[in-house]
Amino acid sequence: MLYDVIIIGAGPAGLTAAIYTSRRYMKTLVLSKGLSDQVTETPHIENYPGFKMIEGYKLIQKFEEQVRDFGVEIIFEEVVKIKPKKKGFIVKTKQKSYEGKTIILAFGKVPRTLNIPGEEKFTGKGISYCTTCDAPLFKNRIVAVIGGGNAALDSVLLLSKIAKKVYLVHRRDDFRGFEALIEDVKKKKNVELVLSHVAVKFKGDNILKSMIVESKKIGEKKELKVDGVFIEIGSEVKTDFVKNLVKLNKNDHIITNDKCETSRPGIFAAGDVTNTPFKQIIVAAGEGAKAGLNAYNYLHGIKAEIIIDWRKFKVIGG
Amino acid sequence: MKVKVYSTPACPYCDMLKEFLKKNDVKFENIDVSKNHKAAHEMIEKSGQIGVPVTEIDGKIIVGYNVTALKEALKLK
Repeated sequence: MLYDVIIIGAGPAGLTAAIYTSRRYMKTLVLSKGLSDQVTETPHIENYPGFKMIEGYKLIQKFEEQVRDFGVEIIFEEVVKIKPKKKGFIVKTKQKSYEGKTIILAFGKVPRTLNIPGEEKFTGKGISYCTTCDAPLFKNRIVAVIGGGNAALDSVLLLSKIAKKVYLVHRRDDFRGFEALIEDVKKKKNVELVLSHVAVKFKGDNILKSMIVESKKIGEKKELKVDGVFIEIGSEVKTDFVKNLVKLNKNDHIITNDKCETSRPGIFAAGDVTNTPFKQIIVAAGEGAKAGLNAYNYLHGIKAEIIIDWRKFKVIGG
Repeated sequence: MKVKVYSTPACPYCDMLKEFLKKNDVKFENIDVSKNHKAAHEMIEKSGQIGVPVTEIDGKIIVGYNVTALKEALKLK
């Protein structure tokens, strides 16, 4: 099947792009590992107009439902490669290949990993990236949180009520979080700060048993016996698989212009994966709309700046 | 078909999973492992996974909110 546009990513940018392309009668496919983790894991959203407050997972499901209602195919497969051909592109997932005349890259950010030995092996076997989900499984256990921002401090406060002991491992001496949070953490009797230390290795058998941390100041290593580790070190873009295709900036974000065009004709990008400032749901959605409309213009050789999306949508053949 | 969901209360993926099952008219037993520690151990033993959600469908274990695997196990379209 040849698609007019293949959108990679199912977050606010990708799904909004899909709404706009499908309403222009472009045969649209969305490929993604899943719905946006970033939105899903946000407990409360209070800055998306139309909703005074909505849970992240509910908002993203509303996006998905709306997109499917417009007849867009959403397939949950992870894209591993994009290959340009004479006209259009081949998109390879772990399972299959798809062909698109245009591409919109909108795969957002993913939780940053440490990339140290044992991390992959023990993920889900002691290592977690979702504290609110998995904290209750560590009642009266010894755990560690890695990180120094608000997410890490929140994680420590929650775990201190459940676990027997909580180590907070942070690579600096000072924190970047809110003062009030920092003070709360310091007051907790069962929290031990392990500052100016970095995690270098996770150890265990079938499940995690301990972690090795190294002092940034004197290089000395020590072993902490832990049942669980929560990694809260922010998020990053994973643009490795497109770096030979489109230009990236020094932070590995995809460089786009005000039309959401990348350095390669036919490939557009939108949302957190690009160099656009402000990583917000509404910004990503807005950029997604622009990318969708500009993909339409590109496909039909339209040079005009403005196309208004005015028509009432009818499902083709529906 | 016997379906069990091991979950915790503040877990968006657990909520999405339960809503998915409801939408597809699948009856299931929800086990809150933050309260039921015996069930938490049982879940970890069966799945090898210290993380929620975990779904058991007629003895088959599915880790996380994995729509493709769930559809296959439940024989949904």
